[in-house]
Amino acid sequence: MSGVSLKNLYEEMLLLRRFDKLSMRLKMKDLIYSGYHPTEGQEAVAVGFCGALRDDDVLLSTHRPHIHAVAGGCTMEAVLTEMMGRTTGCSGGLGGGMQYVDPEHNFYCGSVVGSNLPIATGVAMAMKQQGSDRVCMCMFGDGASNTGSFHEALNLAAIWKLPVIFVCENNGFAEAMPVEEFVACKRISSRSRAYDLEEISIDGNDVEACRATADDLIERTRKGEGPFLVEAVTYRIRGHYVGDPEKTYRTKDEVAEKKQEEPLVRARERLLEQGTDAAELDALEGPIKERLDALSEWAVEQPFPTLEQAIDNVYIPLTEGEVACR
Amino acid sequence: MPVITFGEAIKQAYREEMQRDKNVFLMGEDVGRWGSLYRSSTGLLEEFGSEQIKDAPISEAAIAGCGVGSALMGMRPIVEFMYIDFISIAMDQIVNHAAKWHQLSNGKIKLPMVIKTQGGAGRRNSSQHSQSLENWFVNVPGLITVMPSTPYDVKGLLKSAIRNDNPVVFIEHKCLYFDKQEVPEEEYLIPLGKADVKRTGDNVTIIATSWMVSFALQAAETLADEGISCEVIDPRTLWPLDKETIIQSVKKTGLCLVVTEAPAEGGWSGEASSVVHEHCFSELKKPVKRHCSIRTGIPYGATLEREVIPGAESIAGAVRELTNAPSSSPLTP
Repeated sequence: MSGVSLKNLYEEMLLLRRFDKLSMRLKMKDLIYSGYHPTEGQEAVAVGFCGALRDDDVLLSTHRPHIHAVAGGCTMEAVLTEMMGRTTGCSGGLGGGMQYVDPEHNFYCGSVVGSNLPIATGVAMAMKQQGSDRVCMCMFGDGASNTGSFHEALNLAAIWKLPVIFVCENNGFAEAMPVEEFVACKRISSRSRAYDLEEISIDGNDVEACRATADDLIERTRKGEGPFLVEAVTYRIRGHYVGDPEKTYRTKDEVAEKKQEEPLVRARERLLEQGTDAAELDALEGPIKERLDALSEWAVEQPFPTLEQAIDNVYIPLTEGEVACR
Repeated sequence: MPVITFGEAIKQAYREEMQRDKNVFLMGEDVGRWGSLYRSSTGLLEEFGSEQIKDAPISEAAIAGCGVGSALMGMRPIVEFMYIDFISIAMDQIVNHAAKWHQLSNGKIKLPMVIKTQGGAGRRNSSQHSQSLENWFVNVPGLITVMPSTPYDVKGLLKSAIRNDNPVVFIEHKCLYFDKQEVPEEEYLIPLGKADVKRTGDNVTIIATSWMVSFALQAAETLADEGISCEVIDPRTLWPLDKETIIQSVKKTGLCLVVTEAPAEGGWSGEASSVVHEHCFSELKKPVKRHCSIRTGIPYGATLEREVIPGAESIAGAVRELTNAPSSSPLTP
């Protein structure tokens, strides 16, 4: 597992869990404006997969992108202040929490479900044609696996043998639609059979399994064995957005039960079994809290974009001196 | 100067740009083996290989997304949609991604992507293969929309579109591919955003796009015999619009007719008309008139489709109305 210890992975997940909590607090204070999509319970996929990429690989994410972004190399400063609409954000505060790009860190996300899969094929096609061993990783959810874009992209990637890893983060729900009712197959990974790809489904709450699978698929993709589709089965502990009417689609008991098997609980149990001291794990909280407190204090001081900045790059003007928003 | 077809002019543009820059590639349904539906890329697969000429499956969203992703990585894709009617499947990529990422990156990302397609009636293909959908793109910030009307223009404009760093929607007309014209062998470019005065005149300005340009010119010829002198302007790029050329012309003539194959309602023709009203109000002798297709699905049949779109005769009729000249034939539509 590329020399990363379970404790390291646990610490990274803990950071993302607390980052999500901080974001939710900021959402409640109306300092994040768009709908906030919480990530609690999905940290193993983010750390395991997005954290396994090389700096020059490309990561495409979804409408629930913030922990993918941070695990994939974007700074927490840029991700948080993007959600808060400040100029220090990935997209200068013009995108918000669901669509932003960070080309320096090869990170791109968007808020139309399923759209990133076709884009991933283009990224991967260029990588292949440019003769590099870079890979493209495309995160998406169970909901996206029902879009036409999913099937068009899988087919294209498969016929052209592109260096792309499609990671289906199956968190059990597409908004309020439970996967059992709205996806026609038991395992989303079985859809890979239609494209003559391996069928890979793993426990998405097991961070070691996620990282080991990611390392393996990335290595194989670099060798030209791609594309791959992998399903990581996890669970969305919070609502689709903060304050969604959860009782319309699940019970509190169900959530309580699932909380027993979420990634941090699982990793902690395993670490304790392996002899790690509980106090040592608890001690990780302090520095994370300090870091996030400082981040939050800094973030609220950052400026908002001006109208001029907002409309300055609509398109590249055809002639000198022409305004960019025509 | 050699006389070549519109389709051949497109092929020359492809060839020149693909030789100049290996990052330029064409991708779409049957662009390789068939050489595109109207044969504008025949032989290029053999000449450039499958890295630059890519036959794609019938997956419009994937074709468009592949364009976005590869442009992001420094390539210069030309993604072709066989009929503009099929572009509805690709709209998400074009509108939500291609048109947005330059702004979302504060100008860091460039998306040099040509979204190439053909539209319009005239080949008896009925309502799902004959539409004029350019108005959709004109209304999306971040997109450039081009509609060439001649072999000379298509070559120069396509080369400019390929070299431009914005997403450019490039809409040809299915009835133009076999039109012939003299096209120079030496290289030339036609700037995007620049209109062309196809015929000079003093009494009426006719602004026409795409296939309609040739009908406007025919009408102008007929009207000249009746003593009405028409200036015919082809904007070539619908957006950004060369307002200056239009304004100058209408200030001279004082009368303006806008002709499009797309229905008038909610369309670019209204935008063009507004530009004239806003800038030439005091010079206008009458309000701008629009002469566009009837707001209907394009009907099937050997001749019916021609009855719902403007033609040379109906354009001449519309001009006569503007100039209060006696009508020499019944107006259609």
